[in-house]
Amino acid sequence: MDESALKKIMQEIEIPPVDANAQKRAANLALAEFKAHQKEKSEKSAQGTSILSRLIGRSTPKTGKNDMKFGKKGFVFAGTGTALAVVLVAGLAMQGGQMQDAAKQTSGGPHNFSNVAQNITTSKLSLPGIFDVFGGEKDAADEAMPLASEVTAPPGTAEASPAYIAAVEEKNEEALEKALRTGDSTMPVPVEAPTDRLQLPEKAPSAFKLDDGMEVAQNRADSRAAPEREEAKRKAQAPAQDKMAGTAPGASSPGYAGEGAVSSSEATTIYPEPYPYPQPMPMPVSPPVDYYPQPYYQEQGRDRFPEYKPNSFKVAQEEPVSTFSSDVDTASYSFVRRELNAGRLPPAQAVRIEEMVNYFDYNYPVPESREEPFQPTVTIVDSPWSPGRKLMHIGIKGYEITGEKPNSNLVFLLDVSGSMNAQDKLPLLKNSLKLLLDSLKPDDTVSIVVYAGAAGTVLPPTKVSERSTIYSALDNLQAGGSTAGGAGIELAYQLAEQNFNKEAVNRVILATDGDFNVGITNREQLKDYVAKKRETGVFLSVLGFGQGNYNDDLMQALAQNGNGTAAYIDSLSEARKVLLDEASSTLFPIAKDVKFQIEFNTAQIAEYRLVGYETRHLNREDFNNDKVDAGDMGAGHTVTAIYEFVPVGAQSARSVDDLRYAAKPAAEVQAPIAESKADSPFANEYAFLKIRYKLPSEDTSRLITRPVTGQDQLTLQKVECGPADSCPASASDDTRFATAVAGFAQILRGEVNMVEYKLDDVLALAQQGKGNDEFGYRAEFINLVRLAKAFENR
Amino acid sequence: MDSGFWMPDAQDTELIKRAQAGDAAAFEALVNDYYGIMFKMAFKWCGDRTAAEDITQEACIKLARGLDSFRHDSAFTSWLYRLVINTAKDWFKSQNRHPGAGIEQAEHVAAPEASPDDIILMKQVWAQIQILPEGEKEALILVVSEGLSHKEAALILEVKESTVSWRIHEARKKLESLFGKEKKYG
Repeated sequence: MDESALKKIMQEIEIPPVDANAQKRAANLALAEFKAHQKEKSEKSAQGTSILSRLIGRSTPKTGKNDMKFGKKGFVFAGTGTALAVVLVAGLAMQGGQMQDAAKQTSGGPHNFSNVAQNITTSKLSLPGIFDVFGGEKDAADEAMPLASEVTAPPGTAEASPAYIAAVEEKNEEALEKALRTGDSTMPVPVEAPTDRLQLPEKAPSAFKLDDGMEVAQNRADSRAAPEREEAKRKAQAPAQDKMAGTAPGASSPGYAGEGAVSSSEATTIYPEPYPYPQPMPMPVSPPVDYYPQPYYQEQGRDRFPEYKPNSFKVAQEEPVSTFSSDVDTASYSFVRRELNAGRLPPAQAVRIEEMVNYFDYNYPVPESREEPFQPTVTIVDSPWSPGRKLMHIGIKGYEITGEKPNSNLVFLLDVSGSMNAQDKLPLLKNSLKLLLDSLKPDDTVSIVVYAGAAGTVLPPTKVSERSTIYSALDNLQAGGSTAGGAGIELAYQLAEQNFNKEAVNRVILATDGDFNVGITNREQLKDYVAKKRETGVFLSVLGFGQGNYNDDLMQALAQNGNGTAAYIDSLSEARKVLLDEASSTLFPIAKDVKFQIEFNTAQIAEYRLVGYETRHLNREDFNNDKVDAGDMGAGHTVTAIYEFVPVGAQSARSVDDLRYAAKPAAEVQAPIAESKADSPFANEYAFLKIRYKLPSEDTSRLITRPVTGQDQLTLQKVECGPADSCPASASDDTRFATAVAGFAQILRGEVNMVEYKLDDVLALAQQGKGNDEFGYRAEFINLVRLAKAFENR
Repeated sequence: MDSGFWMPDAQDTELIKRAQAGDAAAFEALVNDYYGIMFKMAFKWCGDRTAAEDITQEACIKLARGLDSFRHDSAFTSWLYRLVINTAKDWFKSQNRHPGAGIEQAEHVAAPEASPDDIILMKQVWAQIQILPEGEKEALILVVSEGLSHKEAALILEVKESTVSWRIHEARKKLESLFGKEKKYG
């Protein structure tokens, strides 16, 4: 990037227009502060005793908007002190409205879990709005809310009486004490042992931006900071006079900026560091210089991924048949993208090759009829990462639904537990679901079930045409409490069954960060339950959110057992891809229990390995057993599987030696095509591909077969040549791109086969295979590879 | 301040003086006049509209108490930059939030006519800028994005001019290592 390019990027950034309301609010708050300041200047003797200056003294870096938001929740707090000052000093009537609003809200939202409060561990409780000096009280806010409402000034009162303020203060004190008494009940932190390449200081999760100005909940502090807060509070209780900016000891930057521009050091001494996730100990604040680069994955400690080993090479003679289930999930790619964009290397276990490859849409030929939902496309190319080996691409694409789409009966099962209270969780979820509504038909029905400490129906089955009802149900969701996912699932299925429509797609859509800690928490039990419900025709899809607490393992298991897909939503644009652009594949199944079985011709192939699909392995006998569940495909879904194999004769590319006592070692099968077995009908065949699937409404599987022959062999590189006769046929852009993605994923996993293959090679191949790239997904991948290069030489 | 860069015009100076003397109306006008500039700076710092609004609001509140310390020996805008940058740092510290990633999601970031490639690159470059060390980030924003000279930036950041140059050099080196060989694979 040269100077002018950087300049262009940095100068052409488009600044969003100033929001007039935000400006007005800021100006009003500043004005109140200004007047208070002037007043203090004029009556210096009253310092520290007047309620006003005490309140003002608590103005903090987090005052203002957040607190105003919080104010709506009905509790008057530190930052609101500034707002109170407006009432007191300026007597602005506008604040009366705020108060009224606050009082209204306190009486409870549409879903008021009365028993949540008991379940809430103080550490998990979290509310939008940030407390400053009173940080400790946050934990007690739940208990305190009704208290606050008792003392809320009557709506419309232009002036808060000192008695009122004192009452609020008193309640605040009580709340704080209560919180401190309750003590530290934070859940233990099950930290997975970091692997040797995973180590580094902790870092807060990346911030998040959602577009339409929705309320963005803030990450919560955890109660472990309570002692610090106590201290902070004590400090804040001290007479306010030396809280005036600049006079605090340690205020830096003398001179130019003057004492007015409060320096960072002051804030750290007074305010506790809120931390979004439970941490075993207060975090050392690392000096900013150490921030860049951040070469390692930073263990947030609680993301969980299934354990598996990469597939190794198998000797074709010993195990000539390979069987696996299809997988159309894409969660892994989104997670990897998120980590890389945040400057971290994703943990190897989070990288599932098949999900990375299947994230992209490939243009495989599609059959016309619904009777045969897909046809296989097979391509053989030389392996770019191991000389002498070859890759076998198997691709299928489901037909697209044209014409009238079936109706949908959807039940959204939403996690609103405390762990969902982050910008990239509940708020993103609400917006994602609004997007999904756009892809539904007006007479489709949706219902909403939420669960936290308890489960409840927030929206009974409602037609999509009644959009405002659905929106208001969504908008009223708030996060807090523990996570009884099990109870919620039962309730959701009940609703779906009540409203069951034989002609429609009946589906529960579970949106969660996967942190089930109350109710049916037993994984096997949950899986069985979901599998049993699948039989009744209600399917389950999973949308994963958030990071730091993400239980990928369980999400995968649930979706697999519920005939659904698991997608990971890390941004609104990802939500758009999954729920809008690919709504029909997410919603409308065209085939279920799709299984692949490949029998390798031992006369041609010495060794093979399946690239990815480790978590989708099936036994050989499972293939013909229709009772064994496997992955499903929605309309327009593509599935790509890649085998790497060593042809017979390529001894140097072998991973193991032949057995001395084997009947006929592969090394001695001198059988290049058409020689010793010229008479064999299979002489030209590498392998035989079988695919089994069921139509969504059927219980008996159907079979598609296709031999893989020498004619499927193409050149991986794009070949530019004239109409010369010997010009080798070149593979499609899709093959090149899928190969690049598979290569990238393996490099990220640190696989041994990839030592010679570098990210630059991935880049070159991906560029060649970029093709049309209508939505820019492939371009995004290419840029991800560039980002990953920062880690390559470490 | 020898160059006298961005000395506020007489009207603004007048306004500031009146506000410093305790004139509330003047202060309000001042805040409204400079809100946009402060917001723009905050947005560049964090790449997130909501966060930028919070930071700007906080900076306005700080201005109420801090204005007295403005001594008219520099441009008011540069003094404001300093205020906004400090507020932003405090804000992120208090949120224990790391700047960045916001811009990844920001929909306003690129000009509407830009190609998808450009938009993605722009987002990624900004995301990387967000996670630069603070010193490098602020130097880069002031010099490359705001178009100030190294000297002007040095005054605002209260460091030596050579420090600014060095930080910009370092920042560009890092960005180049990430996005450098742009055309090589094409």
